[in-house]
Amino acid sequence: MFERFTEGARQVVVLAQDEARKLCHHYIGTEHLLLGLLVEGRGPAAQVLDERGLRAADLRRRILLIVGGEGLDPEALATLGIDLDEVRRATESAFGPGALDSTGRKPPTGHIPFTPRAKKVLELSLREAQRLQHGSIGTGHILLGLIREGKGVAAKVLADVGCDLDGLRDDITRMIEPTTE
Amino acid sequence: MSDGVQLAQEAGSRDPAVGLRAVRALRELAERLEKLQVEHARTLGWSWQEIAVCLGVSRQAVHKKHGGGRRILTKER
Repeated sequence: MFERFTEGARQVVVLAQDEARKLCHHYIGTEHLLLGLLVEGRGPAAQVLDERGLRAADLRRRILLIVGGEGLDPEALATLGIDLDEVRRATESAFGPGALDSTGRKPPTGHIPFTPRAKKVLELSLREAQRLQHGSIGTGHILLGLIREGKGVAAKVLADVGCDLDGLRDDITRMIEPTTE
Repeated sequence: MSDGVQLAQEAGSRDPAVGLRAVRALRELAERLEKLQVEHARTLGWSWQEIAVCLGVSRQAVHKKHGGGRRILTKER
């Protein structure tokens, strides 16, 4: 499936996996693909998303709000007046470095599977490349696939930040139109 | 800490999304602290009964939750 992916598009998939691992999620969903597109930082998708003011840290926070995470949540604890850094300091001085983090659920190691929706996005990205008669699948096509799929957590996050999907589709299409990345 | 104060005021906004997330975060933190303390107590030779009394739960509950772990197998059972 990935043989027609550009270097950037492959990078996005790798980054999506990293993001899933970072958030202690045992699957790669549309939300991780969206993060991957943004974090990749160089391709047309990253440019368009960056222009819309999307920031990775903010997206991660919003994703965790929707799907939850297994990690400690310093921001939420702060709303209760709990300073996680203080807690960490106290436990580490008693039990050694990393004590608080060693007992949490571990981030997944090895292969992390795609959700059916994320798979669908990748299939749609191929479809988008074919439709535009582009020979390879770039980050822009993945973003188009993400928009076309339109129902995953990624779409919800984009809606939450007030991102207009039709406008986004037009922008990215315009950007990848003349060359194939 | 001033950030914390501001956030604490946000919690007073009665937004369920904020409040529920805080509960979840607190639970996760409590779980981790419990695991740390129980493991520590066990290495000091505390019995499940003693640990259970301190945690205010039954001996069975604490054993079911924390027993059967790797390092605990070497001690008792």
